[in-house]
Amino acid sequence: MRVPEYVAIAQWALLLTLGVLVTLMFRQLGRQLGVLKSSPAAGPTVGAPAAGFEYAQVDTGAREFFEPDGGRAALLVFADPTCPACEELVAVLNQAHADGGLAEVRPLILISEPASYLQISEPFRETPLPVGRLVTDSTRQAYEVSATPLLVAVDGRGVIRAAGPATRPADIAAFVRASVIPQPDGATLPVLPATSVPPGQDMVRATTGEERGHDR
Amino acid sequence: MNTLALTAKVIVAVMLLVAGGAKLADVTGFAAAVRLLVPFRMPGVTGRVIALAVAAAEVALGLASLSAPATGWLNIVVLGVACGFVAVSVWGYAFHRGHSCRCFGALSRRKFDVLGIARALAIAAAAALATAGLPRAMVEINGADRALLLLTAALTSLAAFSAARALGAARSLGLEGP
Repeated sequence: MRVPEYVAIAQWALLLTLGVLVTLMFRQLGRQLGVLKSSPAAGPTVGAPAAGFEYAQVDTGAREFFEPDGGRAALLVFADPTCPACEELVAVLNQAHADGGLAEVRPLILISEPASYLQISEPFRETPLPVGRLVTDSTRQAYEVSATPLLVAVDGRGVIRAAGPATRPADIAAFVRASVIPQPDGATLPVLPATSVPPGQDMVRATTGEERGHDR
Repeated sequence: MNTLALTAKVIVAVMLLVAGGAKLADVTGFAAAVRLLVPFRMPGVTGRVIALAVAAAEVALGLASLSAPATGWLNIVVLGVACGFVAVSVWGYAFHRGHSCRCFGALSRRKFDVLGIARALAIAAAAALATAGLPRAMVEINGADRALLLLTAALTSLAAFSAARALGAARSLGLEGP
């Protein structure tokens, strides 16, 4: 029996496409199970000085400058309204703010997407926290933001004390603690990704900077 | 020439299946891109409905184009949609340069740029090629072949949906995608 030319072409095209898609899924599954090597967790080096940067206030459009060594600890939240995990994080931050859990730090949500995107996400739309839009890609590069959400805790002297993703209230509290508790010079407090922290354990641990970025 | 036209038709149909499936996996993200392109403010739910309709229409058109190759008017519809892609690419480049178009959901991070316009033009050219009158014998398929194509095409779209979901979830967890 002869296969019509059209059917043969279509089946080959579909087979190739399926092959590519299955390979993509296999790679992602491998990364998530830890079988394949994954990229290091996003974020800048803990213990390094935080970079100052310019951003635009989303409500007024006014340009502001973030001063990392302003004498008060800061919590930078790199998040985007179209990222589900970011929505979850901002909802948790909103609650933490309402409970007074962010009183000791300067929180700042930083988005890269257009300000109009805020309207599609309730936590972003309703947040009482200051939201800024990054005006250049160099800020994301300086803070090594390869995935969102990413939290960066900066102490009052402008030193990065913790960096990593977070989704739970306990994670936020750990970031706030890391930024406000005075650290001896040279000590680092890297943050484990929230997904790899066993329940009930504090996600911040004192260790050396060399441990940061290990594959999960 | 006929084989080239057939191949172009198949490629455009498969692209529609993958793009539609991937968009369905992240309707919220695609809705944001839709809102970006619409020049007036619209409620969030409207953006989502439009995004859902566009994604579903792409899948439906891909399925129909692939499984009913003898239906000539479908090629014209596909060409119209491809011209729409070109218009969106040019509009996006003019007014929202550098922003993600989310054309393939989480499967790609393509942005509104010159390369995006070139890709859209290539798709439109392929869709135009497919409108060339092909000999009836080349595009006439029986019921069993049609069912086979429909099934494989649906599976491909489902795979695109799953892959886009997996990539989106991995990025949310901080695991960088390819």
